[in-house]
Amino acid sequence: MQVFHIRYRNVQGTLMRILNAISRRALDLTSVHAEAAGQDHAVTVQLEATPKQIGQLYREWYGIVDVIEVRSSVTPPQQGEPEWAPLPPGSAVAEPPVRAASA
Amino acid sequence: MLKGAEIVLQCVRAEGVDLVFGYPGGAIMPLYDALEGSGIRHVLTRHEQGAAFAAEGYARVTGKVGVAIATSGPGATNLVTGIADAKMDSVPLVCITGQVRSAMIGSDAFQETDVFGVTLSLTKWSRLVRTIDEIPQVIAEGFHWARSGRPGPVIIDIPTDLLKAKKEFSGPVPVKFTPQARPAGAKAEGAFTDTIVALLQRAIRPVALVGAGAKLSGAIPELRRLLDDLNIPTFATVHGLGAVPPRSTYYLGMVGMHGTRAANTALHETDLLLVFGARLDDRVTGEPTRFAPHAKIVHFEIDPAQLDRVRACELPVIGDLAETIPAFQGALLHASLPDWSNWRAVACGSERAEVDPRGLAQPTMRFLDELFSRLPPDNVVIADVGQHQMWAAQRYRSSSPRGFITSGGLGAMGFALPAAVGAQLAKPDTCVLCVSGDGGFQMNIQELATVHRLGLPIKMVIVDNKYLGMVRQWQQLFYERNYAETDLSDNPDFVEIAKAYKIHGWRLNEAAMAEFPVSSETADLLENFLRSPEPELLVFDCAPEANVYPMVPAGAALSEMVFEDE
Repeated sequence: MQVFHIRYRNVQGTLMRILNAISRRALDLTSVHAEAAGQDHAVTVQLEATPKQIGQLYREWYGIVDVIEVRSSVTPPQQGEPEWAPLPPGSAVAEPPVRAASA
Repeated sequence: MLKGAEIVLQCVRAEGVDLVFGYPGGAIMPLYDALEGSGIRHVLTRHEQGAAFAAEGYARVTGKVGVAIATSGPGATNLVTGIADAKMDSVPLVCITGQVRSAMIGSDAFQETDVFGVTLSLTKWSRLVRTIDEIPQVIAEGFHWARSGRPGPVIIDIPTDLLKAKKEFSGPVPVKFTPQARPAGAKAEGAFTDTIVALLQRAIRPVALVGAGAKLSGAIPELRRLLDDLNIPTFATVHGLGAVPPRSTYYLGMVGMHGTRAANTALHETDLLLVFGARLDDRVTGEPTRFAPHAKIVHFEIDPAQLDRVRACELPVIGDLAETIPAFQGALLHASLPDWSNWRAVACGSERAEVDPRGLAQPTMRFLDELFSRLPPDNVVIADVGQHQMWAAQRYRSSSPRGFITSGGLGAMGFALPAAVGAQLAKPDTCVLCVSGDGGFQMNIQELATVHRLGLPIKMVIVDNKYLGMVRQWQQLFYERNYAETDLSDNPDFVEIAKAYKIHGWRLNEAAMAEFPVSSETADLLENFLRSPEPELLVFDCAPEANVYPMVPAGAALSEMVFEDE
C-alpha cells in the first residue's frame, strides 16, 4: 500500500485533477483526506499501485499547474509517522536511473 | 464602464490574438455582440468541432495560441474532441465557452453542461469564472498556461450574466501573469552532459529519435547542428517529420507502426537511443516490452509526465530542448567519440532501403508523390486520420518543421478539413494541401461552407477507397476479413457535393498512376489543381483493398514488420 501526500493550491479543479490521475488508471483509493495546510491545502491518498504507476502518478501530479509538492511513503499513517520522501522525476524502474537530471 | 464581454475581448486582444474561430449560441451571445470593433476577426465554422480543429490548425502552423469560442451545453461539448486532440499533440489552444447564468448553474438549466468538469482530464488548466473582476486575471493566466512549457488546451467558462455585467476597466493594458515558483527541490539536480557523453563513448550502435517537441521548442537549428555533429542514424515520429532534412545521409525516415524498414530495424538494434521531444507512445514503440531491447535510453523531454509511460529510460533530461540541446552540443566540443561509420553504413545501407522507392506497386503512393513533387516550396500538408495519413507521412519529403500536420495522438477523423481552414487563414500565401479519406472527410464535410465563404484556396484531396480503410485493413489482417460496418460503397459523389458548395471538383482514377511518368494529361490536371487560386477538391479513386505497408502488427516488436499481404 502506498501513501501519497500532495500539497496544492486550493483553486478550482486541482483536487479533482489529482484524483483523476488515479481514477483514469482504474486504481482503487483506500482513503482520501484533504484539508487546509497553512496557506495551501494538502491531500493524503492511500492506494495500491505498481512501481511504474507510482512513477506515472508522481509525474502526472507534478504536472498539474497548482500542485506544489508530492511526497510518498509506503507506510500508512495509521501505523505511525510515515517516512515521507520525494520521488525522483525520472523512471520508477527495477534498475535505478543512471542519474536524473534537469537543465 | 465596460461589459464583461468587452473586457474578455480586450484581454484576448492583449494576448496578441486577432483571429478566433467559433459558433454563436445563447449563453455566448453577449461576447458575439461585442465582437465588432474589438480588433478580433471571428471566423464562423459550421460546427464547434470545426472551430476547435481550425484553431488547432492555426496554432500548429504558427506556434501561436489558437482560440475557439462556443456557447454552453452542446456548443461546449462539441469542442471536446478538439480539446482532447490539443492535449495529446501539445497544441496551445484556449477555448472560451458561455455558461448559463451564475444563479442557474447546477440547476440543469437549458443548455447547461458542466464543461469545466467534463474537460478536467483533457485540459492543462481551466476556470469557471465567478466574478467579472476575475476576467483579466483568468484570461492572462489561461493564455500563459496554454503556451508555456508543454503547450496544451485551456478552457475558460464564463456565465452569460458576467459577460453582460459592467464594471470599470482601465483599458487594454495586458495583465502580466507571473506563475508562482515551485520549490527548488521539486526537480532533481545534476549535470547531464557528462553522463550522455560517457554513454555515447561506450555506444556501438547509437541512434536518435526526433519528435514534436523538437519543433515546439523552436530549437530546430540547434537540433540539426547537433545531429550533423553526431552523424548517427536518425529517424522521426509522425509529428517529428520535417524536423530533420530528409536528404540528410543519416536520416532513415519515419519510425513506428508504419515506419520505414531502416528506421524500425535500427531502433530495434540500437544500444543507445537519444530521444528528442517524443513521448514514445505505443504507435512508435510497438510492443513496449520488446521496444529497443538492447538500448539505454536518454530522454530529452520538457514534460516529466511523459517519461516512462511506455518504456523506462535510463537518463531523463528534463527541460526545454532550446536549453538542453546547446548544453549537450557544448559538451561534445571537448569529447572524443567513437567512429560509428560501420554502424551507419549498415543502418543506412541499401539492404535496408525501401523495397519500392518509387511506390510503383502502390498507386496512392505514386499519386501522393506526384502531388507532393508539384507543391510550391511554401506549403503545408495536413493529413486526416487513416490509411491516407500513413501513406502521406511515408511519402512526405519536406524539411519544413511545421509543414506536416495531422492528428497524431488522438487520431481524430475529421481533423484535416477544419485544420486546413485555420492553417490557410494563418498563412494566406502558403499552399495548404488537405489530404483526407472518404470516411474522415464526411465527419466535418460541412466546413466546405467555411472554405467557400472565405474563398480559401485550400487544395482538398479525398483518397476514396469506399471503405473506412485502416479499420478494414485491420479487419482483413486480424479479423478474418470480417468487414463489419466499414463498407462505404454508397458514398456520395464528392465532386457533386463540392459543386453544391460552389467549389470546383476534380476526379482522378488510380489507373492514371499506372504510367511512369504520368501522362501529360494527368500532370496538367495536378498542376492546374495545385496552381488554382480558388479552393479545389480532387477525388482520387483508389483500390478498395489497398493496404499500408510496412506495418508492425499489434503486439509485435518493431523488428517484426510485415511488408505485404500474405
